[in-house]
Amino acid sequence: MKFNAKSRLQILLLLLPGLVVFGIFTVYPIIRLFWMSFFKWDFGSFLDQEFIGFENYRTVLSDENFRIAFTNTIVYTLITVPAQMALGLLVAMLINSISHVKIGFRVAYYLPVITSWVIASLVFKYVFNTEGLLNYFLTNVIHVTSQNVRWLDSRWGGMTVAMLLGIWKGIGWNMVVFLAALQTVPLELYESASLDGAGSMQKFLNITLPGIRGTILFALVMLTIGGFNVYTSTKLITGGKPGHDTEVVLTWMYYKAFSNGKFGYSAALSFIIAIVLAILAVLQFRLMQNKDEG
Amino acid sequence: MIKRKGSQLVIYLILIAGLIIVIMPMIYMVSTSIKPNGALYEYPPKFFPKLKEITFENYAYILGQKKFLNNFANSILVSVLTVGLSAIVSSALAFVIARFRFPGRSLLFGFIILTMIIPGTTMIVPQYELAVRLKTINSIWGLIPFYVAWVIPYSTFMIKGFVENIPKELDEATYMDGGSILVVFFNVAIPLAKPGIASVSIFNFLTAWEEFPWANTVINDDMKRTLPIAISGFFGQHQFTQWGYVFALSVLSLIPILVVFVSCQRFFVQGLTAGSVKG
Repeated sequence: MKFNAKSRLQILLLLLPGLVVFGIFTVYPIIRLFWMSFFKWDFGSFLDQEFIGFENYRTVLSDENFRIAFTNTIVYTLITVPAQMALGLLVAMLINSISHVKIGFRVAYYLPVITSWVIASLVFKYVFNTEGLLNYFLTNVIHVTSQNVRWLDSRWGGMTVAMLLGIWKGIGWNMVVFLAALQTVPLELYESASLDGAGSMQKFLNITLPGIRGTILFALVMLTIGGFNVYTSTKLITGGKPGHDTEVVLTWMYYKAFSNGKFGYSAALSFIIAIVLAILAVLQFRLMQNKDEG
Repeated sequence: MIKRKGSQLVIYLILIAGLIIVIMPMIYMVSTSIKPNGALYEYPPKFFPKLKEITFENYAYILGQKKFLNNFANSILVSVLTVGLSAIVSSALAFVIARFRFPGRSLLFGFIILTMIIPGTTMIVPQYELAVRLKTINSIWGLIPFYVAWVIPYSTFMIKGFVENIPKELDEATYMDGGSILVVFFNVAIPLAKPGIASVSIFNFLTAWEEFPWANTVINDDMKRTLPIAISGFFGQHQFTQWGYVFALSVLSLIPILVVFVSCQRFFVQGLTAGSVKG
């Protein structure tokens, strides 16, 4: 259709509020961030920033603490993403195969997802306390250790708690997404496979998994982004302690900016995270597409 | 699928066992919130308080503090305004992108989607600088526009899908009757895309209700805080954390979410799955 002046004005009127808000509060900060990452931009020198090229990027990449935070984030993502997906899919398949209270189970398994990160983190912190419920259970009820485990006082202890929380909180989302995907796999495929004498495992590998491949990719991309977004749980459970051993990339970025006043450093770090995520997303899509053809 | 009764029973048992593990932390939170505060540091810890020990003193304390009532009101205000404003601006963006061809259209949409992969927290430094310049530090106006901008990409993406499913003939019929673009937007697109708008709104409500890093950065006045910041604020004030207060406030802050979620469960699932399943 042809736009007359009045139509153009109305289209503009509809676009403008969204574009203005998005432009000021998202696009401008992204550009500003990119700009800052090339400057020596400290809390003390807010007025005289100095252009230093890629120096901030070099500093970030050679920083031992950044490497620890980056490794923690990668480990967190590598463990929590497959675990959530596998458990979520398992629960989805179980719920899919029962005939009563499906919705009841679906709602109940979803509860951790709607529990806020702050609350969930504090509950886990309390349960994993050295004098907490879990240690009492481990030492005095099932006797697997004789001494209370100091979960929150070591790098991998603290990360384990954060990862358990991430998995616990993520199962419900995966369940709902996979439950919907399972409805799209044609039942006839299972029936004819049964006639051919295929077992449950064969049906799962040859029918279910290929049938929900699109959803697996979707979940993989979303959860990988989610893994790099981890912030509130480690911030509240360990606060990065001991030392900076349980820092993840975002808590480290925040610490450098707001406790150390190194804004240029934080900006460069933010861009490195964004680039890593973009590369991962592209790789994941490629990987799934190749499987498609092969 | 034909299942034998025995295997059905096993599946129910596995589901129930899993469910116990999944909701255990939440039950523990509730049970801790009704224990007397003195009992919280005793060892061995108990999962449930004794029946005669049950007390609502933690709740009485929380509800008796003016600042927590303020925090509650702030959270409601921030979440409701975020939901309302983002529903309007995202529907308008989605409608225009879905229905009209204009130069830069796919570039614009692509860019909006692209920003979804950047973690929101990474922008916190320039956003803080912006909030300082706009003089919105320590005000809920330092939260709302940022949250709206934050949820625009996902909301626009989802609502666009719903608008595209509305038959174009409906638009054209309205144009024939002399209706303008705005009339089509308000009388055709919005009413018919309602399920989509509802589902993203529930999502956005949750996002605004629980947001922590940004609110924790922008607001440091006790009275102006939102609930997540108030809850985490119990740490570092006292030597001993008052876990009873922490969890009483947590339980109270979960109630609105539960109400929204349970009553809109249908929309919620629709919205979640619309993006993930390709037909």
